[in-house]
Amino acid sequence: MTYEQRLTDFRHYVGAGGKVEATDWMPDDYRAGVLKFIEMHANSEMMGAIPEREQIPHAPSLQRKMSLTAKVQDEVGHSQLLYRIAEDLGKSRETMYLDLVNGRSKFHNVFHYPTRHWGDVAVIGWLIDGAALVTQAALLESSYAPYTRVLKRICAEEQLHLRHGEDITLELASGTDNQRAMFQDALDRWWLPIVHFFGPRSNVDKDLLLRWKVKTRTNEDLRAEFLDRYVPKVLELGFSFPAPVPFESGGHWVVREDDIDWAPLDAIKRNQGPETARRLELRRSTYEQHAWVRQALAEPATQVA
Amino acid sequence: MDVYEVFRRSGHKQPFEHCGTVTAPDSEMAMLMAKECYLRRKEGQYLWVTRRSEIHSWSDEALLEPAADKSYRFAHAYRDVVQKRELARRRAGQLG
Repeated sequence: MTYEQRLTDFRHYVGAGGKVEATDWMPDDYRAGVLKFIEMHANSEMMGAIPEREQIPHAPSLQRKMSLTAKVQDEVGHSQLLYRIAEDLGKSRETMYLDLVNGRSKFHNVFHYPTRHWGDVAVIGWLIDGAALVTQAALLESSYAPYTRVLKRICAEEQLHLRHGEDITLELASGTDNQRAMFQDALDRWWLPIVHFFGPRSNVDKDLLLRWKVKTRTNEDLRAEFLDRYVPKVLELGFSFPAPVPFESGGHWVVREDDIDWAPLDAIKRNQGPETARRLELRRSTYEQHAWVRQALAEPATQVA
Repeated sequence: MDVYEVFRRSGHKQPFEHCGTVTAPDSEMAMLMAKECYLRRKEGQYLWVTRRSEIHSWSDEALLEPAADKSYRFAHAYRDVVQKRELARRRAGQLG
């Protein structure tokens, strides 16, 4: 069979809802596209652990400290699961780690921003995990089957994180004026990055991942779902939104596209976010300092008499 | 380092199910990695790991297709019971 014939068969197969396994034949740009997408997801779980990690020492109680630590561990665990399936597509884990710290691959925009205080933990844990869950739940229908199996587990844990984040939010929201001000301050700083999180409007004709059904829904569709689900919950608690201010229109919560300033996202795409360099440096030094652990683990155990 | 396939079982009434993969230098380390990755919340009580290279599968999935019509092996081959029961009743009514 020629490459062209295989490509046509593959296109029909995926078009009809067929699922692809790691060992199946796949077109080169499908493999490359899925690999890049999963690698970015893995990078984001890894780098996403860092902002919250920064706040572990500032947790208001031992219980909060333990639960946040467990959550950070989960996020790193997600990255391990994802790097593992990315490896099966033909890129070594070490190359992926090095590409990340050398700026050759990307991670999600929200993890390029600083955290200031415990209010940030509430916003990240509730709204950013909420946004992530909307996008990840949509990916459960992806055409790349190993990814969907890992996502099933990830989504289950993200559900827990969402409860965890909402719990922290509700504690602040029902607390002192100071506590409420902490949440509002964090929301003011994080709202635009959260709106960016879903990305600019998808170009349906050009987006290979949509065409191959690796992704099944457009960026604007996912953003719309997030706004509908979370904006009323935030307003109900008496908080307000900075630009782009969401408003009700035709029974839905929406933001005006002209109100979205895309410049900060463009800078992050060039790895020039406010915390990009510092966090990648932390990642690099951790990777280097732990070289002896990797080396020790790579050797099969030897019997000691 | 080898790729290990990980299986877990949640109780005696459940079969082992594949739950993912880890990389490790030996089976002992693979068990440890698998526990950290796949049993962090009591998702199972039993764990197996085995080298991916030890797992055998069809190279041609077409071999899984049955060679002939074997619908008699499935319940749906016997679903016209209602009509057949009616026929049998009528037949019984004809008996002297």
